[in-house]
Amino acid sequence: MRKEIIILVARQFWTTAFRSRAIYPLLLIVVMLLGFSGVTGWENYKEQNEIRQHYQQKARESWESNPDKHPHRMAHFGTFAFRLKYPLSMFDGGIENFTGNAVFLEAHKQNMVNFSEASLSTGLLRFGELTLAMVLQTVFPLLLFFLGFASVSAERESGTLKIMLIQGAKFREILVGKTLGLWLVALVCLLPVLLMLGYFLVGQEAADPGDVWTRFAVLSLVYMLFFMVLSIITVVVSATSHKSKNALIKLLAIWLVFVVLMPRTSQALGNYLFPSPSKVAFESAIEDEVVQKGDSHNPDDPYFKALKDSVLAAHQVDSIEDLPFNYGGFVMGVGERTSSAIYNNHQEALLEKYGLQNTLTEWAALINPYVAIKQLSMALSGTDFSTYLDFQEQAERYRYDLAQKMNELQMEHISPKKAQGSEGKEHVVEHEEWSLVPDFEQRFLSFTKVIENAWLSLLSLLGWGVIAVWGIFYMSNKVTAV
Amino acid sequence: MYRLIIKELFRSKVVILCMVLVAVLGILGLLIGKQFLDRQEVTTEQVADYQQEHIQRNVTYHSDDLGLLLYYIKFALINEPDKLAALSIGQSDVNPNVRQVTIRNLEGQKYDTDLVNPSSLQAGNLDLGFVIIHLFPLLIIVLTFNLLSEEREAGIWPLITVQSKSRFYYIAKKLLIRVVAVLAIYLLLFVVAIMLLQLPVNTTLSAFFLLGMGYLVFWFTLSFLVVSFGKGSSYNALTLLSLWLVLSILLPSGVNSFLTNRYPVPEALETMIDQRDGYHKKWDTNKRETMEAFYDHYPQFASYGMPPEEGFNWLWYYAMQQMGDDDAREATLAMNKKLEQRESASRMFAWVLPSMHVQLAFNQLAGTGQSDHLRFLEATDRFHERLRMDFYPKIFETQAVSSVDWESLQPKIYKKEPTVDWLAVQLPVWGGALILLAVSLIRFGRLRHREGW
Repeated sequence: MRKEIIILVARQFWTTAFRSRAIYPLLLIVVMLLGFSGVTGWENYKEQNEIRQHYQQKARESWESNPDKHPHRMAHFGTFAFRLKYPLSMFDGGIENFTGNAVFLEAHKQNMVNFSEASLSTGLLRFGELTLAMVLQTVFPLLLFFLGFASVSAERESGTLKIMLIQGAKFREILVGKTLGLWLVALVCLLPVLLMLGYFLVGQEAADPGDVWTRFAVLSLVYMLFFMVLSIITVVVSATSHKSKNALIKLLAIWLVFVVLMPRTSQALGNYLFPSPSKVAFESAIEDEVVQKGDSHNPDDPYFKALKDSVLAAHQVDSIEDLPFNYGGFVMGVGERTSSAIYNNHQEALLEKYGLQNTLTEWAALINPYVAIKQLSMALSGTDFSTYLDFQEQAERYRYDLAQKMNELQMEHISPKKAQGSEGKEHVVEHEEWSLVPDFEQRFLSFTKVIENAWLSLLSLLGWGVIAVWGIFYMSNKVTAV
Repeated sequence: MYRLIIKELFRSKVVILCMVLVAVLGILGLLIGKQFLDRQEVTTEQVADYQQEHIQRNVTYHSDDLGLLLYYIKFALINEPDKLAALSIGQSDVNPNVRQVTIRNLEGQKYDTDLVNPSSLQAGNLDLGFVIIHLFPLLIIVLTFNLLSEEREAGIWPLITVQSKSRFYYIAKKLLIRVVAVLAIYLLLFVVAIMLLQLPVNTTLSAFFLLGMGYLVFWFTLSFLVVSFGKGSSYNALTLLSLWLVLSILLPSGVNSFLTNRYPVPEALETMIDQRDGYHKKWDTNKRETMEAFYDHYPQFASYGMPPEEGFNWLWYYAMQQMGDDDAREATLAMNKKLEQRESASRMFAWVLPSMHVQLAFNQLAGTGQSDHLRFLEATDRFHERLRMDFYPKIFETQAVSSVDWESLQPKIYKKEPTVDWLAVQLPVWGGALILLAVSLIRFGRLRHREGW
């Protein structure tokens, strides 16, 4: 293959592409879409994070302002975790609109993460979310198809293809040149998007700037790869169609099936085949198991009675008032440990079910590059399911530690004589203790962890790149000039 | 003539494939809707069983303290979905149809979301509503984009000129057959829906059916308009697909982004903190203040007087809980106002965006919209209030646990009777279709004039 010829063909593609007047309004629309979604994404990110940080701080101030009191009151006072958005979420909203944003963290109870954007929406959210990623993933392919559907077929129709071949260009060189030309158009359009995103990202690097910029770089690369795959598909379809009209119709059909039909259908089928339990069933199963294990609130419960007897025997005393620590705090610590373990088991089973529901979609990435880029883009933007689960786990771990810390304070500082109740101004812990408990601080997944989670999508996209390149060489031996 | 046109239409494999695909996805949508209804039914049963067992268990554990017992017991209010919900699941996958509440402060329990896989929520429900709003228009595009250009590009246009009396009628007939074919599939899906879901044939269903039909007719007229420009097949296909993308994805999602940013709801988070502080901080203030605020709210209980400052007491405890709700009230009202604003702004945009209008109106008819959920939350408020008014006196008078007939406390059902505002539901789509039809007839007239046929 000769470089000069490829460049010549690519340059010729550019001039013909921009000669048609129809492209300018189209480009204008795409630019407007990108501008709108970029700015709204940024505003939403900034506003939401400000709101959430504000309330996280308000909750903390309220926590610290508590006077001396019984630690179990503080365990119930609890605190909140407000989920922060990762800076790149301004690029790709992923599933964030459908996940809760705030959770109340208290002793004995794992609360739901509430107030997702979807729960506050009028139902319009189901039309999708206009983000930069959405424009790049769904509108860009159409743009490329439109620019490139006639790239080879029109040359054939007008007979110029034959002339080019006679003049010494190889078919392979023509296809590569056309692809390169189309791909360059995509890259030129992508560049301002990346610049805008980069501009917004400066100063928003959160805790780990290196991570944010690494993700940004990888995100840029995978989109470039995605556009390369699209360009090749366009040129190959054009080269194998006898008429430009047929090429366009084929490409539009591909777009419909891969972008509109497949993702929703695969997820819907996943849900249909692997139904998950209802909330009532989930919660009552946990309650049953907790009660079976032993109810720390039931005075006659055999499990906790046995526990009491063994504790009394170990300390060689007759009643809990004679123990060297507050027995109430001890029992609640045990109760928290067992009930949390039970909850976590059920939660894991539920997540496995969700995982099953998602498998069809995840594996669809292998045959659908759109699904691959979608998953990958969410993962890198910190708006995928794993990122959300990580937040949930962090919140639950914090909740557990907080409850146990309060139980420890009770064991240590509350007189064993105060066997029951937590009201009143005697039997209290000094309020200085409250500020010693660290506040909830959300951490984001590291870059390596993100890649670990999204390996399947990354692999399929790379695979698509390889197949596409192979396809173009294979096709160049198959197609004819007339 | 008709027979030939029909034959010609069904000769194309692509056309048949698309029709079958839409029909199959429509039926899949109905199955998904059925699964949704079945699930709700199972949940309703589970809730009834669960409540029975849950109450019995707690009554045996805490048989000597009514105040403590009612601290634990959860009572369920069930939002029984209309069967139409199967056709347009709307917001009812995010918002649970069961509320289980204790008589403690409501704000802390009211907004609990359902257990759902967020990835599925993001992908969206494949219900019949989706098939109608997004897929039927695509079928219409496939069937009509080359209505006129097909003959021209195949070179048989002059032949038709010679053979038929009026080329306009020929095109009109072609269009009519396509309309009939699409409406036949549409009707078929409704017949299947009625049988599969045992839908009652009533006003709401008719309104639903007619609205969907109006939307399909709207798309036909839009296609017809594009065709009437007399451009080539590629141009038409691309224009129509772009229109589809703009009308049924980009504009609605753009409007949604706009509304989300225009009306953020920090009040939601405010309620969480307010209700917690409103209640919990009362443990540290003196009882008299709390009781006075409580009696201000419920003067009918003032006769229970002031509990002793020292020690624990249920009257004081539930008064503190009430303060959680009372203190969060302002934020709650502000939040509801925001949600209403979002709703009314969406409706305004919906007047000019058929896809949005149809989605919102489908949800409204099926009782699965955001406003329906807000009504259910209001019903939950009343339900909670009634429970407290029943139990407060019993607790404050330290009545025995046995004084309550626990067996009779079954989950309560909330059911909203849908009302149909015919004009507001039908006008946007039918009116739009009519306008487009008029414009495209004028265009056709010009095209005929210009080309002399």
